[in-house]
Amino acid sequence: MNRPLRIAHLYPDLLNLYADKGNILTLQQRMAWRGYAVEIIRVQHTDDAKPGEYDLVLLGGGSDREQELVGRTLRRNVAEWKAAVEDGLPLLAVCGGYQLLGEYYQLPNGTKIPGLELLDLRTEAGSPRLIGNIAIQSEVGIILGFENHGGRTRHRHAPLGTVISGHGNNGEDGQEGVRYKNVIGTYIHGPLLPKNPALADMILQLAMDYAGISGTLRPLDDRMEQAARQAFMERRMELAPAVLQHK
Amino acid sequence: MFGIWVGKWVLWILNILGKRATSLPGKVALRISPRLLEKLGAKLERCIVVTGTNGKTTTARLLAAAMAEEDAIVHNREGANLPQGLATALLKHCTWTGRLRCRTALFEIDEATLPLVAHALPIKVVVVTNVFRDQLDRYGELDTTLEKLLDGLRRTDAVAVLNADDPLARHIGLAYGKQVVYFGMSKDQLQHEVRDQMRDGAFCLECGHELVYHGFFYGQLGDYHCPQCGMFRPHPDFVGHPHPQGLTVSEGSLPEVTIALAARGLFNRYNALAALAAARVVGLDIASVQAGFRRYEPPLGRMQAFETSPPTVLNLIKNPTGCDSVLQTIRADGDTKVVCIAINDNAADGKDVSWLWDADFELLTEDPKTVRYVTTGLRAEDMALRLKYAGCPTDAVVSIPDLATALDEALLQADACEAKTVYVLSTYTALYPIADRLQRRAHSHEPSPAYRPSVS
Ligand SMILES: [Zn+2]
Repeated sequence: MNRPLRIAHLYPDLLNLYADKGNILTLQQRMAWRGYAVEIIRVQHTDDAKPGEYDLVLLGGGSDREQELVGRTLRRNVAEWKAAVEDGLPLLAVCGGYQLLGEYYQLPNGTKIPGLELLDLRTEAGSPRLIGNIAIQSEVGIILGFENHGGRTRHRHAPLGTVISGHGNNGEDGQEGVRYKNVIGTYIHGPLLPKNPALADMILQLAMDYAGISGTLRPLDDRMEQAARQAFMERRMELAPAVLQHK
Repeated sequence: MFGIWVGKWVLWILNILGKRATSLPGKVALRISPRLLEKLGAKLERCIVVTGTNGKTTTARLLAAAMAEEDAIVHNREGANLPQGLATALLKHCTWTGRLRCRTALFEIDEATLPLVAHALPIKVVVVTNVFRDQLDRYGELDTTLEKLLDGLRRTDAVAVLNADDPLARHIGLAYGKQVVYFGMSKDQLQHEVRDQMRDGAFCLECGHELVYHGFFYGQLGDYHCPQCGMFRPHPDFVGHPHPQGLTVSEGSLPEVTIALAARGLFNRYNALAALAAARVVGLDIASVQAGFRRYEPPLGRMQAFETSPPTVLNLIKNPTGCDSVLQTIRADGDTKVVCIAINDNAADGKDVSWLWDADFELLTEDPKTVRYVTTGLRAEDMALRLKYAGCPTDAVVSIPDLATALDEALLQADACEAKTVYVLSTYTALYPIADRLQRRAHSHEPSPAYRPSVS
């Protein structure tokens, strides 16, 4: 029997704005349905994070007030985070968490909230907020969801995908999210993983490989996931069937 | 003046056509006379406002029923709580020459709308039912909602009637600085065992420290204090003691008053308590309040029963906390039941359905008496997915986007598994079509045996 996959959920006590629960549930259930054990570690902001002990890390978003507190908390062990990421630790960061991976988040008044500096990435507050349904083309096919962010993010890494419909990182360069080693950052929630099972499985496989747990994830019955994707693309993205076929 | 005319014409035409007129006349009139609210508002003697995240419509209707005992009032009773809805309500009560027939208005107002209309109305009392997370895409974030509420309140000299059990409302009370009256539940109702539900007030807004709770009523409502700055739950001026038949309220040293309430659920008792507190602040005597509450008609979709076969109970859901309280009530029903969930994502529902994942649908999937699910609406498939990840077997869920077909299927399934009740949960824009359909289903059938006169 393999040891359980250790998934750290960072600061659920501060960051629960964008339905993190959906992402956690998806990772947890998709492992359970395949007979793998998972341990969810809820890291409170008063705890000391131990990046070296996790197989997968989830970092969500919160309001500006909570965001600053999270930034401060994370920077307490920035060296360990950096080492783990360079070593291949899978990390999924959404919305505010995505912004925190970079150098800073600049508020409208010019104040810069410092980030973790794990990535060559900067965010500046902009107006109006970029809100709405979004679809992007990525290495695991089309990723679907909802975005709602004031920040405009620019970086020097590969994006998670290119925007088919919606705003993306900054509403200008047609890119959405970031991919660096096994770090994935994105503005897409809704939440992200339930309706994007291919992405969920990619992240889980990365985590298993990183953890040294042997095995390849077998396909699951994703008919309900596919039905939700299909309905969303037809009713909400108004994407032509030709685009859908193209994965 | 011309705006009033045109607005009245639109109202008149809609009435002739038998259409619901809650927003359109006001919208048209405001386009022609942007200062219409100021003009009509100036003719009012006083205006009472009910705002907050959940329970606005119910609270406002209870309060309206009590106030109507003494005098006729203007009231946007259908819950159209944006400027066009307020204008429509005023148009309904003014003559073609622009004279207003009532001196008092009772408005349910959306949190984000309050700062926009506060200057135009002689607001004397503002009731804030609670502050929960709602429709992120409309407001940005919870902090923005709080700021808007405070901003609106500061533009008035009103007495604020606030929920003592809500740390976010307490923050409003402290920041407002003018006269505040608190209502809250009796501490003997506190729950000490809690599920992992969303709590928006977990941090002190005065200093940022984590709040300590002695227990919860529901959501973030409870007995809280801040160990760092000393912020605490104030002792309520109106203390509610909920019981199955209603609510007993103590107000200072006055004799206790008992209010009978047909509607189930702790959240409905909160609404009644808020309405009672506001009625007392407005100056009504307890007899009027009791008489008014007895004549109260619940708004659409608040544990609303339809005599279909089996019977249906319709509930509005729009955010995690409100949804959780409905789910708790359904779970408390010990009989076999079928649940139909309608999720739309039109502008009035909120285009972001992320909140479905924050709501505690596990309350249902862990309940062996909830045997089947039908999901419907524009996001029927997303809802089905939520249930799947909540642990529901996939063959117990069916998605049918068309509302009417889905309701028929739910009733059919209920028959097949001998369920006693079909609970229907719905977001705002699906609510009216669903109520229509259920009404029709209720009439098209023979009355169920329970309602037939005895023939023995
Ligand atoms: Zn404090």
